[in-house]
Amino acid sequence: MDTIIIDGLSFALPLFIMAIGGIYSEKSGITNLALEGFQGFGAFIGALSAVLIANAYGTDVENLFYVALLFAMIGGMGFSVIHAVLSIKFKANQVISGVVINILALALTTFLTTQINALVFGAASDKFRLGVSERFTIEGLADIPVIGAVFTDVYPFQVIIIVIAIFAWYVLYKTRFGLHLRASGENPHSVDAAGVDVAKIRFSAVLISGLLSGLAGMCFAYSISAQFSSSIYMGYGFLAIAALIFGNWKILPTLAACLLFGFAKSGGTFISQALALPSSFTDLFMILPYVLTLLLLIFFSKSNQAPRALGEIYDKGKR
Amino acid sequence: MSKNKKKVSLSYRLLWPIRNEKWQPITIPVFSILISFIAAAIVILLLGKNPIIAFYNLFQGAGIFPKASYAGYKSMLTDFLSLLNAMTPLIFASLAVAVALKAGLFNIGVSGQMLVSGFLATIIVGYSGLDAFIAKPLVLMIGIVAGGLMGGLVGWLKYKFNIHEVVTTIMLNYIAQYVISFFIHMYYIDPVSRQSKYITEAARLTLVDVELANLKMDISLGFILAIAIAIFIKFLMDKTVVGYEIKAVGSNRNAAKYTGIKVGKNTVLAMVISGSLAGLAGVTYYLGYFASIQPKVLSNIGFDSIAVALLGNTHPIGIIFSSFLVSIIDEGSTYMSSQAGIRQEIASVIIGLILLFSACGAYLKHKVSSLKEKEVERKDSES
Amino acid sequence: MSDYIVEMKHITKRFPGIVANDDVSLGIKKGEIFALLGENGAGKSTLMSILSGMYEPDEGEIYIRGEKVQIKSPNHAANLNIGMVHQHFKLVDDYTITENIILGMEPISKFAGLFPYVNIRNANRTIEELSKSFGLEVDPKKKIADLTVSMQQRVEILKVLYREAEILIFDEPTAVLTPQEIDFLLGIIEGLRNSGKTIILITHKLEEIKKVADRCAVLNKGKLVDVLDVKTTSINLMAQLMVGREVSFESEKAPAQFKEEVLKVEHLTVKNEDGFEVVQDVSFTIHGGEIFAIAGVADNGQVEIADAIAGLTKASGGKIFLNGKDITHDSIRNRTETGISYIPEDRQRYGLFLDFDLSTNLGAKQYYKEPFSNKGILKSLEFEQFGSRLIDKYDIRSGQGIHTQVRSMSGGNQQKAIIAREIELQSPLMIFVQPTRGVDIGAIENIHNMIIQQRDQGKAILLVSLELDEIMNVADTIGVIYNGRLQKVASSESLTTNEVGEYMMGARHE
Repeated sequence: MDTIIIDGLSFALPLFIMAIGGIYSEKSGITNLALEGFQGFGAFIGALSAVLIANAYGTDVENLFYVALLFAMIGGMGFSVIHAVLSIKFKANQVISGVVINILALALTTFLTTQINALVFGAASDKFRLGVSERFTIEGLADIPVIGAVFTDVYPFQVIIIVIAIFAWYVLYKTRFGLHLRASGENPHSVDAAGVDVAKIRFSAVLISGLLSGLAGMCFAYSISAQFSSSIYMGYGFLAIAALIFGNWKILPTLAACLLFGFAKSGGTFISQALALPSSFTDLFMILPYVLTLLLLIFFSKSNQAPRALGEIYDKGKR
Repeated sequence: MSKNKKKVSLSYRLLWPIRNEKWQPITIPVFSILISFIAAAIVILLLGKNPIIAFYNLFQGAGIFPKASYAGYKSMLTDFLSLLNAMTPLIFASLAVAVALKAGLFNIGVSGQMLVSGFLATIIVGYSGLDAFIAKPLVLMIGIVAGGLMGGLVGWLKYKFNIHEVVTTIMLNYIAQYVISFFIHMYYIDPVSRQSKYITEAARLTLVDVELANLKMDISLGFILAIAIAIFIKFLMDKTVVGYEIKAVGSNRNAAKYTGIKVGKNTVLAMVISGSLAGLAGVTYYLGYFASIQPKVLSNIGFDSIAVALLGNTHPIGIIFSSFLVSIIDEGSTYMSSQAGIRQEIASVIIGLILLFSACGAYLKHKVSSLKEKEVERKDSES
Repeated sequence: MSDYIVEMKHITKRFPGIVANDDVSLGIKKGEIFALLGENGAGKSTLMSILSGMYEPDEGEIYIRGEKVQIKSPNHAANLNIGMVHQHFKLVDDYTITENIILGMEPISKFAGLFPYVNIRNANRTIEELSKSFGLEVDPKKKIADLTVSMQQRVEILKVLYREAEILIFDEPTAVLTPQEIDFLLGIIEGLRNSGKTIILITHKLEEIKKVADRCAVLNKGKLVDVLDVKTTSINLMAQLMVGREVSFESEKAPAQFKEEVLKVEHLTVKNEDGFEVVQDVSFTIHGGEIFAIAGVADNGQVEIADAIAGLTKASGGKIFLNGKDITHDSIRNRTETGISYIPEDRQRYGLFLDFDLSTNLGAKQYYKEPFSNKGILKSLEFEQFGSRLIDKYDIRSGQGIHTQVRSMSGGNQQKAIIAREIELQSPLMIFVQPTRGVDIGAIENIHNMIIQQRDQGKAILLVSLELDEIMNVADTIGVIYNGRLQKVASSESLTTNEVGEYMMGARHE
C-alpha cells in the first residue's frame, strides 16, 4: 500500500508541474503539444551540465541534483523559444510546430548525447548516467497510518514542485499577469484593446511551460530512469496533456488527474506483483489514464471547456 | 526612414528566389531543404569533417550514387531497392496525414493506426501459413480495414461528441501501444529478439533476398501500390464530388453545412480514408520493411509523416518527392557514418531541421507578399 | 492656444491599394458632441483609429490640448485621456464586468506586504460608484456572457470612463440597438457632454446626428467634404454630401401582387444548444410575390427561424411546409432542391469558401449534379462557363475573374457572388438575412432593387434585418419578434416605425 502512494506521488508530481506549464501555455491561447520535447531537451541540458561539472570537479553526479535541475529549467525554457517564435511570431500552425519540435528534440538530444560522450568521455554511449536523487523521510509524520506514506521516502524535488505549483496557482489567478494571460486565451482582442501586448503574454506563457517541463524532465531522469537517454521520450508530455484536459485546464483538478494517473501506474505495478502476474500486465494498467480521459470527454464534453481562442493565430489587424 | 527602406530591399533580395507565388509550393520546400543542409553542413564542419563528402556518402548509401565497393550480392541497385522499401510506408503515412489535413483534421494518430493494423495483420495472416497469393492481398485488406475503422472512430468521436481529433488520436496512440505490447508479451513474443515472432515469408509484402543476376534484392511490392494510390488520391481530391466535399468541409465547416454537405459524414469519411492509408503504411512497415513488431514502441514514421506531408505541400505527388528525400537521408546515414565517421544520428537532426523550416513556410509566403508590397511602394516613391 | 481640444492636421493614411484618409484636417472643441458622418469605407473609423493610437498616420500632425503629440498605442491615447467605445465589443465572456473594465489597469494590493495581487473587491466598489455616477447601472460581479448587447455596450463605455477619458469616441454605437435603447444611449451621451466630456460620434445614421450632435464632419472616400453646424443643416443636405450625389431614401416599388402560398410555418419552436427555447410557437405564411420581413433586436430568434426553415438548425416543434410539402425533417440539400435559396447573415462564415476560387464558390450549390458533375466526376469546364456567365450578369468584380480567390474580393462583391449564386437556383422561396450588412450605400440600393425584382417575378421572400429603415422600406408584410415570439404580424402600411420599435422591445404585444 505504502509503495503505491510513494511511487505514485513521485511520478504524479513531475507530471503535475509539466501539466501546469501546459495550462499556462494553453490558457494564453497557444496549443502546446511540445511538452514532450521540452521535458526531454530540458533534461538533456540538465544531465549534460551535471555530467560535465562532475567530470571537471571530480564530484559525484548524484550530488549535483540541484545544479542539474536549474540547468534543466534553463534548457527547457531555451528550447521552448522555438515553439514561441514559430507559433507567435511566424504564425505557424501550433499543432504542427509542436509535433516538429518533438521530432527535433529527440533527434538533437540523441545526436548530441552520443557525440558528446564520444568527444568528451571517449565512450560510445547513448546515455548520461545520473543515479537516483537522495530521498528523505519525515520522522513522526511518517508513522501515521496510510497518510504516513506521503512523508516517507520523499524526493526533494517533490517539495520543490509543490512550492512552485502553489506559486503558479497564485500567479495565474491572483496577479495582473495571470488576469492578462487568461484573457489572452479567451479573447485576445480585449487584451490588445486594453493596451496589453498579447504576443508578449503568450511568449512568456510558452517559456514558462518550457521551464516547468524542463524541471519535470529532470525529475524523471533523476528518479525512475536514473539516467538521461532517449528513453526519456516515453510520452510523459502527452500524459501531462491528457491530465490538463482531464482537469479542464484548471490547476487543482489537474492535480487530481495527475494523482489518479500516478496511482494507476504504481497501483498497476503493485497489483501485478502481488498477484504474481507477468510484468506485461502493468501495460494494461498504463492505458487507464488515456481511456479515462477519452471517456470523460465522451460523457462530459459539454462541461469540458477549452480556452476559447486556443490554437487561433492572433492577427492584430483582424477584427 | 531611408535606412528602413534599405533593410527592406536586403531581405527582399534574400527572399528573391521564392518571390513567385505560382512556384512557391515548390520553391519554399526547396528553400527549407537548402537551409537545413547548410545548417547541417556547419555542424559537420564544426566536427572537423567535410560536409560535401558526408552528403555524397549519404546519397551513396541510399543507392543514388555508386559506392566505391560493394559486398557480395550487393550493388547500387540493391541499395536503391532498399530505399524504395523503406520509403513505401512513409508515402502511405504522409498521404494519410494529407487527406486528413484537406478535411481540416490533424491525424496525429498515424502511428497508432499503423500499429493496430500491422498487429492484426501479423496475428491473423502473419502466422497462418496461408499461401502467398491469398496471404498478401489479405494483409493489405486487413491493413485498410483496421486502419479505416480506427480512423473512422476518431472522425465519429469528433462528429458525435465534438472531441478534438488531436486529443483522441494521442489517447488512442498510447492505448494501442500498451494494449498491443501486452498481447505481444503474453502470446507472440520471441524470447531471443524480445520482439514479436517473425511472420512467414508468404505474408510479407517485401520479397526478401530475391536472387537475380547474382544480386540479392529486397523488392517492395507495396511501392508500386503506393505510387498508384498517390495518383488515385490526387484524382479523388481534385476531380471528384467526394474530394470537393472533403475539401469544402476542411475549408469552412459552416459553409459546407450551409451548402448542404453532410459535415459529419465527410469528417468520418476523410478519417476513414486517412486511417486506411495509415493502415497500409502499417502493413508495409511491420509486414514489409520489418517482419515483426517491437513492443511498446510507436513508429517515428507516424510523426515524421506529418511534416513530410507538409513539406510535400499536402500534394500527393509532392509527398512522393518529400518522402524520397527524407528516406534518402534516413537510409544513407549508416553508410555516411561508416565512411565519414560522422554519427548516424545526425541524419535525424537534418530531417528535424527540414521539418522545422518547412513549418515556417506559411510565414515565408506571408513575408514575401508583404515585402513585395513594400517594394512596389518603394519603387513608386522613388520614381 | 487654440480653443480646440483635438486638432488633426493634414492626416493621410494609406493601406495597400487604397488611401483611407486623404489630407484630412479637423478641429474638435472641448465639451461638444462632434459627429463623423460617412458611408462604409469613407475613412471615419480609420481616422478615429489613428486618434486612439491603433494606427499611426503616414502624414500629418495631431494636437491634443494644443500640444503636438504622436499617439503610438492605445495606452498612449489613454494617457492623453482619449478612449474609444468600439463597435465590435472587445470583452472576455468568461470574466466579470469588473475584470473586463480593469483589464490593463488593475488596482494592486499586497499580501503580507510582499505578494502583489489584483484587488477585485476594491475594484468592484470603484466600478459600482462609477456606473452610478453616470447613470449606467450595472452589477459589477456579473459575467459578460450573461449580459444583453446594450448592457455589454455600457461595460465598454465604463471601460473608457474608468481610464478617465475626457475625449470619448463612439464607433457606430447604435448599430445593434433598438430605437428605445438608442434613445437611452443618446441620453447618456448627452449626459456625458453635460458633465464636460468631449464626444466624437462615428455614424452613418443622420437622425442621430440631428438629435444630439453639435457639429458634424462629412467624409467621402477618405476626403473631408465639409464641417457643418448641425442645427442649421438639413438631413437631406447631409445625406447628399455623404454620398456625393442625391439619394432617394425609398426604393421604387410597385404594389405587391400576392399569389399562391409558398411557405407555411406552423407553431415552430427551436431550441438552442443549452436547450433554451429561442423560438417559441411561431406561425406565419408567405405568398409568392410577397416580401415578409422579420423585425427585431439582435438575438431574439429571427436568425434561428431562418436557419430552421433552411434546415441548418432543427425544429424542436411545429411544422414547415414549402409549396404544400412538409419539409420539417428534410435535409438541407433536399430543401434546396425543393426550392429554398438562402443568403446567410455572415457571408464569410457561412456563405463562402474563402480559400476556394470564385467559380468553385458560384457552383457550390449545384456541383453534385448535372451538368457540373457526372457519376461523381467534376467537370471543371462547366464551372468555368457558369462562373463567367454570372460574373457578367451580376457585375461581380474581382482581380482574376473566375480564378480569383474569394478571400481577396471586397465585401460588396462577395455579397454579390452569394446573391448571384442563390438567385440562379431559381427557388420559389428566397431567404435574405441581413443582406446589406457592411455594404456601402450604393450597393444597398442595388441589393434592395434585386430583392424587389425577385418579388415581382413571383418569388416568396423572407427578409430578416436589424435595420428598421430597411424593413419599413422594402417589406410588404412585417412580423415583429421579441424573445422568440412573433408579437405582431401586419402589412407594412398599417405600422409606423415607432410602433414596430415598441413591439421589438416587448413593450406592446397582442
